[in-house]
Amino acid sequence: MPHYPEGTVRALLATSHVTPATKAALEARLHASADYAPQFFDTDTYQLLRAVAARLFPQPERETPIELAPNVDQRLTAGRADGWRYDVMPPDREAYRLGLGGINQAAQAQFQQPFTALDEAGQDAVLELLAAGKAPGENWAQVSQKYFFEELLAELTESYYAHPLAQEEIGYVGMADQPGWTRIGLNQLEDREPTEVKL
Amino acid sequence: MPDEEVLEEGVLNPVQPEIQDPLLKSILAESEAVPAAAPTEQEQAAPLPDPADEVDCVVIGTGAGGAPLLARLAMAGLKVVALEAGPRRDPTKDYATDEKAQNFLFWNDERLSAGQNPVAFGKNNSGTGVGGSTLHYTAYTPRAHRGDLQLHTDFGQGVDWPFGIEELEPYYEEIEHFLGISGPTPYPWDPTRRKGYPLAPLPLNGAAQLMERACAQLGIQTSPAANAALSARYYQEGIGWREACTNRGFCQAGCNRGAKASMDVTFLPLAESYGAEIRADAYVTEIERDTTGRVTGVVYEQHGQTVRQRCRHLFLCAGAVETPRLLMLNELALSSGHVGKNFMAHPGMQVWGTFPEDIRPYKGIPGGLISEDTHRPKDADFAGGYLLQSIGVMPVTFATQMVRQRKLWGQPLRDYMRSYNHIAGINILGDCLPHAANFMELSDEKDARGLPKPRLHFTAQENEQRMNRHAEKLMRQIWEAAGATDIWAFERYAHVIGTARMGRSGDDAVVNPEGKAFDVPNLYICDNSVFPSALSVNPALTIMALSLRTADKFLASLRA
Repeated sequence: MPHYPEGTVRALLATSHVTPATKAALEARLHASADYAPQFFDTDTYQLLRAVAARLFPQPERETPIELAPNVDQRLTAGRADGWRYDVMPPDREAYRLGLGGINQAAQAQFQQPFTALDEAGQDAVLELLAAGKAPGENWAQVSQKYFFEELLAELTESYYAHPLAQEEIGYVGMADQPGWTRIGLNQLEDREPTEVKL
Repeated sequence: MPDEEVLEEGVLNPVQPEIQDPLLKSILAESEAVPAAAPTEQEQAAPLPDPADEVDCVVIGTGAGGAPLLARLAMAGLKVVALEAGPRRDPTKDYATDEKAQNFLFWNDERLSAGQNPVAFGKNNSGTGVGGSTLHYTAYTPRAHRGDLQLHTDFGQGVDWPFGIEELEPYYEEIEHFLGISGPTPYPWDPTRRKGYPLAPLPLNGAAQLMERACAQLGIQTSPAANAALSARYYQEGIGWREACTNRGFCQAGCNRGAKASMDVTFLPLAESYGAEIRADAYVTEIERDTTGRVTGVVYEQHGQTVRQRCRHLFLCAGAVETPRLLMLNELALSSGHVGKNFMAHPGMQVWGTFPEDIRPYKGIPGGLISEDTHRPKDADFAGGYLLQSIGVMPVTFATQMVRQRKLWGQPLRDYMRSYNHIAGINILGDCLPHAANFMELSDEKDARGLPKPRLHFTAQENEQRMNRHAEKLMRQIWEAAGATDIWAFERYAHVIGTARMGRSGDDAVVNPEGKAFDVPNLYICDNSVFPSALSVNPALTIMALSLRTADKFLASLRA
């Protein structure tokens, strides 16, 4: 699979290829504080969400992983929605409480330990059950694990790939759209587009 | 007029004086008679507290349904006010080239999606702000075909429109030239058109080239698509020069150059130049009537204040969820029993694949290439048909859709996304039949304003399922021929259509063929909710055409 050099997006942010509005949005994410105090979740539930996010987006190569849980906490605190919800799902705040609680119930049922106490293999085993719709736990009578897993994964995915470092990882430099693109056909690159590197 | 530039022939002032002026003249000549033509004054139970505050027309919504008619009414000399629920923004300063930062363009109030195929809203076709959903439409502007308007005649299923394509063609021509549509001339699937597109097609990006190459092998005709982004600088009355598209590929969010013909850079400035007033952040909650059932005005919330605006005529153009929602909340125009019914959504199945070529899906308009060979496939086992489009895509949109479908997580997810620059898609846009199981209702759950959230039921029926199977098979063939690996399909539905449909009888339709409510003498509806059938093409151009037609029918009724 393709790999791209590090630092591409960060270097472009300092150039006039990126508009001020674009730069502001990306730099806010790049420089977000690592220590975030949750507003919506209690400390234990927030750490559980962080642990789940760390398995859905494992980042062993990064000294400081991209934090995905703060966006969820901020959104639920503000009560923001994205325009729609599966009708079979409870409101988002309730869905997160029930779903994360259900993940802990599944961990207890399988391994007699809370999710955060499990090793990576144990955590992955629990998430595999959830992804397959087979996680044990009484909360799943109140919230669909299929849709909870889908919504959780989609929300974390949005946060991850909106991050400049994740965009460097996949070779995306669409934010550097000034003054425009002229070489847009197959295999046509402009100088500011990164080329793949051999590992 | 432009100060420095010399107008090019054929690009000059696309709002044609020979169409506009007689109308304007006749309306202005009869401007004294306009108030008298509306019998409201004599029939009011109580005198209006402030007659000066009454305007000729209020238009709710500034998207593809509201903006063109707002301009037309203003040009006819009427006093018009548009109410837009969302804010007015400055694209050059406020629009970041970043998907997440652009979430403010979407109608993010929660809708409840029910049925076997729950439809996504928000970034999937629901916009807010001055310009409505056109702020984030991809600006695909194919015309409907003659057969799209007569599904029942041709297949014995669905319903016919109450008029033929001839009624829309003059408006298609006018809008294509006003907006500056870039597209192929002659149009391969309709070569006898009277007028070609005013601008040459936009260039093809990697995904479009892959689809072009594979379709050529398979004997499927393709063409650069018609798109309302400018392939060259273009002059428009009321706006001035708009700059050409720079292939920044960000059409599904806002265009920061004004190259994409969203309403905020086209019909709305035109309307304002003729005196229309646009009030942003104005969320309508009530539609008021007198004892005879005539609409007398609307009540809206703006910046924490409750405001009443009186009007002689109301144009409801809030889109196919908020339009029926306002009708239901106000118990208005409900006698047909069809408000909220006949909810249709276009089958929009996508097929994705990974290619050895470097594609860089963020460059160029997303849907560069089109084929309408599948408009009426010879081997079809379904009514209607579909079109094919290539897709380039931004990474966040792609990744979130992909995980919803493929449920990849952990290292496999990160590994797959590393191939982003080598991934391209094709999708269809297909017709949809109305069905009793597909409808909108008000739920018991309340939003932040205390109003019931809408619930939309959608289940793809036999016809849509057959079309999906046909399309998936064909798209997989195309992508295999193009050399793709790891091909996967994403079943999705897009656009909200039909929830206040147009028809000949108030027994099974909400508005008449002129767009006027059967129940209410001075209420017009114009947006995709009035479509009797879904069409096999992207709806925006047809919504705009209906908008101008609705305005002309209304203006003619004033003169009568």
